[in-house]
Amino acid sequence: MRLPESQVAVLDVLSAADERTVATVVEETGLKPETVTGAAFDLRDEELVAVSEAERVDHHLTAEGEQYLTEGLPEVRLYRAAAGDEAFPIGDATDVAGLSGQAVQIALSNFARKGYGVVDAGAVDPDPDADPGADPEAAALAAVADGETEGVAAKTLDRLAERGLLARDESTVRSLVLTDDGVTAVTEGVEAAETADRLTPEMLTTGEWRDVEFAAYDVEADAPAVEGGRVHILRQTAERVKEVLVGMGFDEMQGPHADAEFWINDCLFMPQDHPARTHWDQFALDVPPMDGLPADLVDRVAAAHREGIGPDGNGYHSPWTEDVAREVDLRGHTTSLSMRHLSGHAVGELAPPQRFFSVEKVYRNDTLDPTHLLEFFQIEGWVMADSLSVRDLMGTFEEFYRQFGITDIEFKPHYNPYTEPSFELFGQHPETGDLIEIGNSGLFRDEVLRPLGVECDVMAWGLALERLLMLTYGFDDIRDVHGTLCDLDLLRETEVLY
Amino acid sequence: MPVVEVDPDELRRLTGHGEKSDEELKTDLFALGLEYEGETEDGEMQLEFGPDRLDRLSVEGVARSLRYQYGDDRGVYVPKTNDPDWTIEVAETVPPERPYVTGAVVRGVNLDEAALDSLIQLQEKLHATMGRGRAKAAIGIHDLTMLKGRALADDAPAGPGHRITYRGVAPDGDRFVPLDSDAELTPAGVLDDHPTGETYADLLRGLERYPAIYDEIGLFSFPPVINGRRTEVSTASRDLLIELTGTDQWTIDRMCTVICYALDARGATIEEVDVAYMDGAEPPAEGAQLRRPDLDVEAKHVTHDRVETILGVSLDEAEVVDLFERSGLGVTVDDGLYRAEIPPYRVDVLHQLDLIDDVGRAYGFNDLTPRYPDVATVGERHEGSRLESVVRTQLVGLGFEDLLNFHMTNAPNCLDRMRVAAGSDVLGGGQPVEIVEPYSEDYTILRTWALPSLVTVLSNNTHRSYPQDLAEIGLTARRDDETPTGVGESRHVAAVLARTDASYEDAKARLTALVADLGADLATPPVEHPSFLEGRVAAVEIDGERAGVVGELHPAVLVDHDLELPVAAFEFDLDALR
Repeated sequence: MRLPESQVAVLDVLSAADERTVATVVEETGLKPETVTGAAFDLRDEELVAVSEAERVDHHLTAEGEQYLTEGLPEVRLYRAAAGDEAFPIGDATDVAGLSGQAVQIALSNFARKGYGVVDAGAVDPDPDADPGADPEAAALAAVADGETEGVAAKTLDRLAERGLLARDESTVRSLVLTDDGVTAVTEGVEAAETADRLTPEMLTTGEWRDVEFAAYDVEADAPAVEGGRVHILRQTAERVKEVLVGMGFDEMQGPHADAEFWINDCLFMPQDHPARTHWDQFALDVPPMDGLPADLVDRVAAAHREGIGPDGNGYHSPWTEDVAREVDLRGHTTSLSMRHLSGHAVGELAPPQRFFSVEKVYRNDTLDPTHLLEFFQIEGWVMADSLSVRDLMGTFEEFYRQFGITDIEFKPHYNPYTEPSFELFGQHPETGDLIEIGNSGLFRDEVLRPLGVECDVMAWGLALERLLMLTYGFDDIRDVHGTLCDLDLLRETEVLY
Repeated sequence: MPVVEVDPDELRRLTGHGEKSDEELKTDLFALGLEYEGETEDGEMQLEFGPDRLDRLSVEGVARSLRYQYGDDRGVYVPKTNDPDWTIEVAETVPPERPYVTGAVVRGVNLDEAALDSLIQLQEKLHATMGRGRAKAAIGIHDLTMLKGRALADDAPAGPGHRITYRGVAPDGDRFVPLDSDAELTPAGVLDDHPTGETYADLLRGLERYPAIYDEIGLFSFPPVINGRRTEVSTASRDLLIELTGTDQWTIDRMCTVICYALDARGATIEEVDVAYMDGAEPPAEGAQLRRPDLDVEAKHVTHDRVETILGVSLDEAEVVDLFERSGLGVTVDDGLYRAEIPPYRVDVLHQLDLIDDVGRAYGFNDLTPRYPDVATVGERHEGSRLESVVRTQLVGLGFEDLLNFHMTNAPNCLDRMRVAAGSDVLGGGQPVEIVEPYSEDYTILRTWALPSLVTVLSNNTHRSYPQDLAEIGLTARRDDETPTGVGESRHVAAVLARTDASYEDAKARLTALVADLGADLATPPVEHPSFLEGRVAAVEIDGERAGVVGELHPAVLVDHDLELPVAAFEFDLDALR
């Protein structure tokens, strides 16, 4: 029979007649205690060894106990100091008996308890018949120190433990004895198989691994923590959105974060005195007004604002100037990219059908709270075709949101300056079942499309990526993940979704 | 978005549907686009809606829309009016900044508390929306019986009836007692000493003359600020004068119409007024004679085909006519072309698409069956987006935690604490783009580089376990006259290694691997950069182009960020890997 080296060593020192404790085996084999215990259990599993267990209590002295062992118990010292005196002042205990502070209290209470005399009116009257020399607690201290506690009364040991002079360790003592199979195996001869801690390159090249037993690990033990890198969860969500949209046939747009109000607002048929165009809502930048806006496009956009589109169309009754249009802001929505693309100024003239999207940052001068940041990601998408209906818009969004587990979308008729009909999209929260707003959509108005030179239909929608993130991950404070106040542990520990 | 407070009992009474429960009303209102937001302490429903249907800013308007939705009313309704007895003269002294006026007389109103509250709410909500906070238009409503109407302008043409005059007044001119006051004040005094005056003072500051309306007794209205106390409206008022002034005739006329419709719904009679712009008054209204309120019905056209293609359903003409009428629009149809008549309280109908929207709402958009459009396109990621994604994947593979920080920051964080001077010739030293009227001092510029964001994250996470290896790919920006917008934008790759034994070599090792992954060549000639330890900092040269910096952060930077261990870092322009 071939067994690991440690098991062979253990078998060699066992007999069928006498039980041997693990400690004895450790002594005789020179192996580590955990190795012997491990080998014993393995041998038991092979039914070569029987293991019996007994609970054992070890006593040892605490630091205070050690101190009293050397200096004597305080009450004994007090008795000796006071001996022969009928009214030994307690105040003298410090000087004469060398007791101080708390030790005086300890001495007095035990002095009285053991009947060494009477404590009264600040004085000690020792009983001349008492015999502190035979104090069982003092004797027990010495016995514990010598490891000879068998003859000591349990009550005395308990008392020492209560006084905090004694500590107890409980342990299991395992004793090993050969079984009949074990005797047979030893008689027939047991050879040691080599054991190895690690598989080494040498073992592989020499083939030595064939003759080696690999020591078993405690495979249930905790391993050290590893903080692998991971993609930011908001980026992961963005990637997933992009994957879904590319799968639905959408092309990705990119473009400037800082842009002329013309592209951000005017092309969208937002009147220049619209409340959302004040600095209370958008971030203006201290750069010169943008030159080089396409003049013919500017004229057509201005005409749409002033006079409307079509024979009985109306414009706004609001002032419109190119100066306002040339101001540079941080974009409040990525619809500025849609305008650049639809106008032919981003990737050239576009003929239907087209689908485009972006998942990019936008900037709004909003009040910071758990669900609103000054910067967030907007999912923007649009479809251009010769003819599109509200039903096409609904079908597209149902398909998109279905990919994120959001079904039963409701379409609330809504107003946007740039789309008509317009809808706010509401969906059921996948966890709570609440009806929540999940996007804004519509068909671009003719006042938007015709100046851009688009003669067919375009439907569009927008949605905050953060809202999707909070829905799918259940976060309630977006500030934990986005920005310099982020918590690294949260980012490290958040579950990865797919 | 506007929120209107509506008493559900008033709504039931005005719609004639006492049987509707609150829940049924909420459902019907949602279908109209009015979302129930909650209720007030008095049990009124708070309804939020898009700022297009300003005729719904009062319970009367909401009730009218519901009656159309229920099919109780159909087509266009125009209130009957009586001939004018009052004229508003516009004197040439009217301030040119606020040249327009309009108005109406309303008789026989029954103003109980609810009706008065509704009227005040309508006035305030119209101010906030169409009136652009009274800058564009302001409304004054007066008890007509308190007015005496002899013409005051010397050059006024003689004629029958009563007259009031819209004119200019010197800031320290005639005194009057404003609402909520006992003192006689000059117009300037109101701006200085009256709470409402202080609120709206900015609208008039700097004007040579302030707008004012006079009757025979004197100044009774000081638009856009406050009315005089003499003509204050109460529940006892029976006849009202409504006047509106502003910067645009159409806007004030529409607002006037909305108010007239609301009062008409409570049984009042509308009486016209004449508005007479005097010769010499501001153009384009010089000499114009207007009869108001303007209740003219406008017409727009839309084809049956366009209705069908936008809604995506087949309809017959009778059905569409029915839907128009249930939207409160009048309609005739001729060979597939609808001529829709639009009531004058509608301010939102600019184009035929707006008509189709009305038809769709009446049909019930949620009754349409969604369909995936039969449009075939092929999707693709943008090349720049693919590059960013790939580099991010490589960074994560190298063990970096991918981060996401704000593009807006402030100069102390982005520059000073990194020991970088604005306008210096080092990475991050570009002229920062500043935000005009910033939200807070934390966000005043766009970040010129990304490393300061990562160092700040380190600084905020010193209680978390190390090593902290962080990376970010994100926008940086600087002033750049060569870019059309004046803002040079570039995406930077930044990384920090914060660990007890972090060294230049650790940063360079990962940088080298990353650049090699993308098939580019890396060189790291020595350079100086104030954020880094001298002698342990190099320029990042990718394919021979200088693109960034790599090194050990300067101890002064670390100490300033309360970091107690070394940090090695790099940052470069993502486009260098293209």
